[in-house]
Amino acid sequence: MPLSQLKSPEDLERFLLDNEGIAPRDLVPLPFPYQDWKDDPIPELTEEQRGRYEVGPDGVSAMRVPVPTTEEERDRLVAGFLDGLRKLLTKENNWTFLQPLMLSLENCVKCQTCADSCPIFTASGHAEIYRPTFRPEILRKIVSRYLKPGGSIFPKLRGTDIELSWDLVVRLAELSYRCTLCRRCAQACPVGVDNALVTREIRKLFSQELGLNMPELHEVGTMKQLESGSSTGMNPAGFKDIVEFAQEDIQEKAGLDIEIPFDVEDADYLVMHNAGEFLSWPENLQAFAIILSVAGVKWTMASDLLGYDSVNYGLFYDDVQYSRIAIRHFQVAKKLRAKRMLMGECGHAHKAFMPIADRVVPMDLHVPTESAFVLLEDLVVNGKIKLDPSRNEFPVTLHDPCNITRSMGIVEPQRNVVKAICPQFREMEPHGVNNLCCGGGSGFAVGQSLNFPAWRTRVSGRLKYRQILEAFSDHIEPETKKYVCAPCSNCKGQMRDLLTYYEAWDRCGILYGGLVELIVNAMVDVKEGFLEWEFH
Amino acid sequence: MVDTLLLWWIWLAAGLFIVGCGWRALKYLRAPEHLRWDLYPVAHEPGRDHGGSYLEEKDWWTKPRKKSHWGEVEFMFEEIILLRGVRVNNRKLWWGSLPFHWGLYLLALTTMGLLVAALGLSSRLWLGVIALSGGGGGVLTAVGAVTLLIVRSREPRLRPYTTPLDRLNLTLLVVLGALSAAAALVPGGMAQAVDAVSRVVRLRAPEVSLLLGVQMTVAALFIFYLPFTRMVHFFSKYFTYHEVRWDDRPVRAGSALERRLRGALEFGVDWSAEHIQTGKSWAEVATTMPDKADSAGE
Repeated sequence: MPLSQLKSPEDLERFLLDNEGIAPRDLVPLPFPYQDWKDDPIPELTEEQRGRYEVGPDGVSAMRVPVPTTEEERDRLVAGFLDGLRKLLTKENNWTFLQPLMLSLENCVKCQTCADSCPIFTASGHAEIYRPTFRPEILRKIVSRYLKPGGSIFPKLRGTDIELSWDLVVRLAELSYRCTLCRRCAQACPVGVDNALVTREIRKLFSQELGLNMPELHEVGTMKQLESGSSTGMNPAGFKDIVEFAQEDIQEKAGLDIEIPFDVEDADYLVMHNAGEFLSWPENLQAFAIILSVAGVKWTMASDLLGYDSVNYGLFYDDVQYSRIAIRHFQVAKKLRAKRMLMGECGHAHKAFMPIADRVVPMDLHVPTESAFVLLEDLVVNGKIKLDPSRNEFPVTLHDPCNITRSMGIVEPQRNVVKAICPQFREMEPHGVNNLCCGGGSGFAVGQSLNFPAWRTRVSGRLKYRQILEAFSDHIEPETKKYVCAPCSNCKGQMRDLLTYYEAWDRCGILYGGLVELIVNAMVDVKEGFLEWEFH
Repeated sequence: MVDTLLLWWIWLAAGLFIVGCGWRALKYLRAPEHLRWDLYPVAHEPGRDHGGSYLEEKDWWTKPRKKSHWGEVEFMFEEIILLRGVRVNNRKLWWGSLPFHWGLYLLALTTMGLLVAALGLSSRLWLGVIALSGGGGGVLTAVGAVTLLIVRSREPRLRPYTTPLDRLNLTLLVVLGALSAAAALVPGGMAQAVDAVSRVVRLRAPEVSLLLGVQMTVAALFIFYLPFTRMVHFFSKYFTYHEVRWDDRPVRAGSALERRLRGALEFGVDWSAEHIQTGKSWAEVATTMPDKADSAGE
């Protein structure tokens, strides 16, 4: 249904229920050398899958919501949703975000000033279902119609004539996983409304009341982490093996004998890594170990349950799961009497440990937290490690993880490092606090369900890829090897999928990786060639 | 009789305006401390034009926090007076929104000017100034509201998000603007308005012309329902910025913030999903796991 057919507020409900899929022809075009690039359509779910799972208004399933089979199940879903919505608006159940939620629900003037700031809405060719105000507006109508006194009086006049049904509820749930919570829309809002927060709260309602969420965030995310110690399933013994392998690799690749310390008490820094790094990008752990050891920093890692995995996916969908993990993380640091926790290259862990945990973790468990970028800036810029920038003589651009920049204001330290060691550094536009999300934010990078990964590469990550191409437009030929520095595990996961889908290595010679790898590649104490120019 | 009705209508509307706005503000004020949800740039971060925060500093928790109140004032000035956000991100709407807002600011100032004059601090010059501000404010409000009405009715991206009530509201503001301009600019209009306001504040029925009577009735209607609309953003914006986007206070031991947060942890939780143990306090729920795993504290 094209936007021109939307005439009045009641059409929004129809749009949510009737819309089926998005067309590849509508996706925003990419620059050279992609002028002839043809996107495959997002695969439709098979008949068998459609029989088992509900889909969103775009035909995509991120949550794998089971198809309700009886009328009773459907009624229960609607009733549960309404109960959850009521709880979301009480201080007892939602003290954590009640005030910002109320403000955002009650003050949006629907001016659409935020719309074009949304990378997903823009990349999709302005598909209405992805408009930053679309989801919240559906929720506002439901609140006004069903929860406010006199909600059914003059519904047409007030634009609250919405009929709650199970399929509307399910589509709204799915749609809450089509926003990466990057908060560019909030940044653009003149009133200060945060429609991304409203989206997060919708996710929370479904998780905390109905137990519906993205499986990769819950069952194989927070639940697994709380049970086994890591969302990767890695237990403490597995972690110790990883450390051993890393030491061997460092010896082989860097020619250095380095012992990675763990469970050392009273260390200046307890380094918290996203354990996904150990498996997918072990060179990141190795590079951290090399830098900290060569610089003589007194550091450690922790092998206690949860102590070796900074992931906290609760941040994206569930305050209770978030709090459980955050408290355990701080208990580990307290037990080791760490002077501070150092956040590795993981954007959401930065936010989970630093600003957010600050008000959840009881004061007796508080341990100061610091971004690794700040320490790295100190080591690099103040000459505490010897560097030879000519070793990084290739085009480099820097991706800003939303959680670290827009949500925390850590912008310059990582830039100062890259500028000091990469002679061919160039910015993406826009960057810093105005950056574009990689498209894998809010847990999307780990979303592997059904046709969701296809949506992620074609839609949510598309503008980021366009930005990368533009940043390297002066050397876009594949013979010139180029490096996208993405200092965040989730962003790197998304980069891997994006660059694979768009065949970036073969077409343009673009590789991705973290920040510490670049530093180590330039360290004179390390054997040359730490960066391996192989796409993985 | 009509004059007396007008007197009580104005007082009722003013009363409801104060109570309504107070109730909305109190609702936001009484909400518990929430988790941090700051958004950068934060206007009071000094010397960080790139939008950075104190978290860019080494050992930030050991350093005294600096806040630039001037930064906040500068931002608010640009946002309130020039509608910076709309100008940068939504230029088409800005052409209507700017005169509309300026018009309302001027009408609000005119009302204050009338109150000042009604209290006896009046002069010919003062009457001239408020006549100009009332006339200009009325014209700008009407022009702005007409422009917004047209844009909201024609623009496909705005149409489905504009309710009939929104249109009614804008129409009322066109009428209010036009009436205000006329009432302010007719010869002797302001003197009559000062006299009317002076009587109203002394609880005496105003003696007004038909034009001024209708203007006052419509103006009272506007302030009567304003607290129940999204137009309360004239004060709720304070909360969205200061209490959410710019709230970057770290918790300090023994602070009032810490005490309030400790209180919040005692709230009872009754979410129904299986993984949440309903019926316990937040502190208990956050430190225990559903049956599958051990207690976090053990």
